[in-house]
Amino acid sequence: MYLGLQARLDRLFNRQGDGRAVCVAADHGYMSDVTPNVVNLRPITAAVIQGGVDGILLSPGQAMRLAPLFQGRDGPALILRADWMNMPRLGTSNVANAVPQRLLVHQKVVTAGQALDLGASAITIYLFLGYNDRVEATGIEVCARFVAECHQIGLPCIIEPLAYGGQVTGANSVEILTLGARMAVELGADALKIPYTGDVDTFRHLVDVSGVPVLVLGGARSDNERDALELFAEGLEAGASGCLMGRNVTKSPDPKRLVEQLCGIAHKGWSVERAMRTEEWAYLKLKAHPAKCTGCMLCVTACVASHDSGAYGNHLARLRIDPGVKAGQHKVMFCTLCKKCLDVCPTAALRWHPENGAVELLVDKCTACDKCVEICPTEVIVHSDAGIQIATGETLDWYPVVCDLCGGEPECATICPTGAIFVDERKELA
Amino acid sequence: MDSKSYRLREFINPGDGRSLMVDASAGLALGPLAGLEHFAEAVKPILPLVDGVVASPGQARHLTGRTRAEAALLARADWTNALRGPDFVLPPETISHIPLLAPSDALDLGASALVLYFLLGHEEQIEAGCLRSTVQLALQGSQVGMPLVVDVQPVGPRVVLRGKAIELGVSYALEGGADGVAVPWPGRASLEMILKLSAGMPVWIKPTSLEAVESELAEALILGAAGLWLDERLFSQPDPLGVLETLRAQIHKIVSVG
Repeated sequence: MYLGLQARLDRLFNRQGDGRAVCVAADHGYMSDVTPNVVNLRPITAAVIQGGVDGILLSPGQAMRLAPLFQGRDGPALILRADWMNMPRLGTSNVANAVPQRLLVHQKVVTAGQALDLGASAITIYLFLGYNDRVEATGIEVCARFVAECHQIGLPCIIEPLAYGGQVTGANSVEILTLGARMAVELGADALKIPYTGDVDTFRHLVDVSGVPVLVLGGARSDNERDALELFAEGLEAGASGCLMGRNVTKSPDPKRLVEQLCGIAHKGWSVERAMRTEEWAYLKLKAHPAKCTGCMLCVTACVASHDSGAYGNHLARLRIDPGVKAGQHKVMFCTLCKKCLDVCPTAALRWHPENGAVELLVDKCTACDKCVEICPTEVIVHSDAGIQIATGETLDWYPVVCDLCGGEPECATICPTGAIFVDERKELA
Repeated sequence: MDSKSYRLREFINPGDGRSLMVDASAGLALGPLAGLEHFAEAVKPILPLVDGVVASPGQARHLTGRTRAEAALLARADWTNALRGPDFVLPPETISHIPLLAPSDALDLGASALVLYFLLGHEEQIEAGCLRSTVQLALQGSQVGMPLVVDVQPVGPRVVLRGKAIELGVSYALEGGADGVAVPWPGRASLEMILKLSAGMPVWIKPTSLEAVESELAEALILGAAGLWLDERLFSQPDPLGVLETLRAQIHKIVSVG
């Protein structure tokens, strides 16, 4: 049974070979009112899968409906919400609450075997602490039953301790969460999904005394997506193994991009600053209609003419035309903002320009190692003809010439007489 | 000899009928405790020194790789908030007691016995539930050869005569089908009564404190108790291994040569 358990845990936590997982909780329609992220669940789910998410938490019904999205070797792991509760509908503070509830109810809905039938790689269940003794005891009973069922069939059980109710205050919430984390592990949880305690030290202690992988959840959506990234980065710093973030992702205007940012932080070691750079990625995007290209090379000439690369020659253009036999067969090659040069640069000499969203060379950091030139898939990063003296007094024999999108108005697109090169997408910075 | 007797011999020395037990399962109700923050790191070093260790179902899975010379595993079969005091972060308003494991679950965990709280002095239905669980676990355990040890807890506010309450708990455990009981030190007179009542069923003593442990243990062994049942307070000691070595020698009468 442990082989199956480990295999499914690996599917969730080891897709990238680093023991980490970026997961999205999309089970809100199961327990709270109908909100836009609930209505648009299918496109949101598809978007986060495109963003490279490692796992998605769904209700049993949505797991059945959205099963085709999970197919394929690269598909994310399905985490099934196996219990139900009415906490989001308690009280009158939520103005969208159609039928306010008076008492917290928490119950088991599906069996571990049914979750396995649905293709789940893990289940998630709540453990409430701080509401009253009855609810806590019921939660203990439900968790124990799930753990026993799950371990019979090798299905990981993720317990989600929550500090909620009249016994919870600002002063004791961290202690209650830590208590809940340890109780969940003593019950047999294979991983935890738990709110961030608010600071690295207390969360590190929580992770430390848990001894199983901890996924930090995001809580209510912040208007500033940077908050979600910072919360996640702090969670990782404290030892978390990933996140299981819900509304911050599903209510985001661009769920795919946010998942890419979270994956960058989790799997590529990005800082929040580095992750935020992708905000400028979509600022301006060049596209081409190769069929319209006549091979006149005006774009190449204009590119060279509009930049001072220390010398003159079409070989210094930041785009190129692969000639065909006749008009319509030429290939227009330019920077696609694939980011590979940024990722490979060992000294962070390449970065996104903070204003125009293009690649920028910080020449004083450049060591002329040639890695960006080698990795560029469109071969539009080229060697400068002349060398340059940098701040340290050293002289570089050459430096990489990269497309800067002409500060936001690309000359190649402006001058192209047939519209073969054009600006496809332009997003103003906030 | 039946399979239940074999399992009992895994944590009770057949040579002297005694054992040194450590209950490390309190984290299930109390969270991370001093000295037990990292369960496996704290518990593995004591395994060669004790005869049995009680662990929660979750932590039991981390006690892998035990050898025959090391302690047997006993699985905690239930959960209660009755162990929480008024100063605890979630002080209990009503007492709950939840069965967690069946004997077949304990077999899956590789346990040699199940351990069940018997709570006395709380609401009547709590006591009734403990009795029902004792009977059920004993009956189910008989079918699969899984012994049941009852951990008597006379901690409720309605306990008036503590010694008599402990005697009552032992009696209920015995009548319910338990294979052993762990009791708080009840005083000499009550212990004599308990040992007479238990009629050969192993009785472990939970000491009043680690300061009092040697004198209480000496008296208990003379009277015929099966040994000692320590709790999580052991792990907050500066030298738990030293404490255990001393107690182990006392229980099993180990005499150094030379």
